[in-house]
Amino acid sequence: MKSSLNKVVRIAALLGLVASAYPVAAHHATTMFDHAKVVTINGVVKEVHWTNPHVGIYVDVAGKDGAEAALWVIEMTSPGNLVRAGGWTRNSVKPGDKVEISMAPLRDGKKGGALKKVTIADSGKVLTADIRAQERANLEQEAPAK
Amino acid sequence: MRNIRREVMALLGVSLLPGVSFAQGTPGAKPAAKPVINPPPTAKDWADIAKLPDWSGVWTHVRSDQDRQMKTNPPPWNEKAAKVIEWQYAEERAGRPPPLFQNCLPESMPAWMLVTHNAMEIIFSPGRVTMLGESDSARLRRIYTDGRGHTEDPDPSFHGESIGKWQGDDLNVDTIAMHPQNYIAISEAQGIPNGGDMHIKERMYLQKPDVWADELTITAPKVLTKPWVTTRIYYRQRLRRLDIVEGTCLEGYFKPAVDKDGYPVWEKITHDPYGNRTPPK
Repeated sequence: MKSSLNKVVRIAALLGLVASAYPVAAHHATTMFDHAKVVTINGVVKEVHWTNPHVGIYVDVAGKDGAEAALWVIEMTSPGNLVRAGGWTRNSVKPGDKVEISMAPLRDGKKGGALKKVTIADSGKVLTADIRAQERANLEQEAPAK
Repeated sequence: MRNIRREVMALLGVSLLPGVSFAQGTPGAKPAAKPVINPPPTAKDWADIAKLPDWSGVWTHVRSDQDRQMKTNPPPWNEKAAKVIEWQYAEERAGRPPPLFQNCLPESMPAWMLVTHNAMEIIFSPGRVTMLGESDSARLRRIYTDGRGHTEDPDPSFHGESIGKWQGDDLNVDTIAMHPQNYIAISEAQGIPNGGDMHIKERMYLQKPDVWADELTITAPKVLTKPWVTTRIYYRQRLRRLDIVEGTCLEGYFKPAVDKDGYPVWEKITHDPYGNRTPPK
């Protein structure tokens, strides 16, 4: 039992070493988000980083029902993909906007996620960020009926 | 005497010619190679471009097809590479996707043709086809179509040395001299460095009027047991609103800020080990 435990610890250490050997940066796959779950937050946009390769939105969420106030970071695809797949512009979401955001949350429980949908309270406008929404030629034309 | 005078005069005359040395006259010496130039394009060169197939517009990747091909047509990995891929899949299932492209270096050949999530455009000019990507740092390929062959010992690079030949409406491309670090990737979280000696042949063509295809045959003896043939497709967009925008991967390391003197600057931000921004404290 002890030897199996040691083996598990050794493998975990090795995996940790390999993971830490990768440089920390920006361009990445998205399975650190749990796409099977949806978490919804309501808050006020603090910052929007309209930058490649992934756009980010920081949202202040007030404490409520015993939960502490927190700053959430929501990640998306690139500006170009958001324009093509979701009809975004860099001003679609602005600091100060009251928003409701649903996301696939980070698996590690931290205050972050991959955006599924944002609703802007004042205008009621809804935006999504599904990269697959651009998967047809000539997006200017009506989508063919399914 | 007259002959001697003539020889002396000839010798003086030769020595006065600019750029000519006596060494050239040494018996047995090879004449200097004529420098190769890129001639200015002629009106006919431009007219010939008009006869090529229309690859204009913005070409967008097809992510669901990339995902499908991971399962239906995986590379023939050798045993060692297959074990690493298996580990990468396990890591991804555990929510720890191996961050192959986080360093913001170019996705490189062949990964950027295989797994890109960003649009590109293709530009024809006399003697050259140029491919420009929207993101992923310096995504740029030059494919020479002016009849040249590969250079004798090209410097390795991210995109390699590509020589193209038009055959009807197909562009056949031969690429060598890629960095051994370039990934053969099947997703942003699964891929193996090619290890060197990689050779890629491509057939680029229109599958349908607005569907562009790149059929790649990748030979990489250090990691594949046989050449891997795979095709990636791209959809054409003509909407001006969707034109290619500038995309610099490193931008994601920073956010706009103001320095102590009031000037706009880029301020570094932090990320977690998997590439996501971390909330400021």
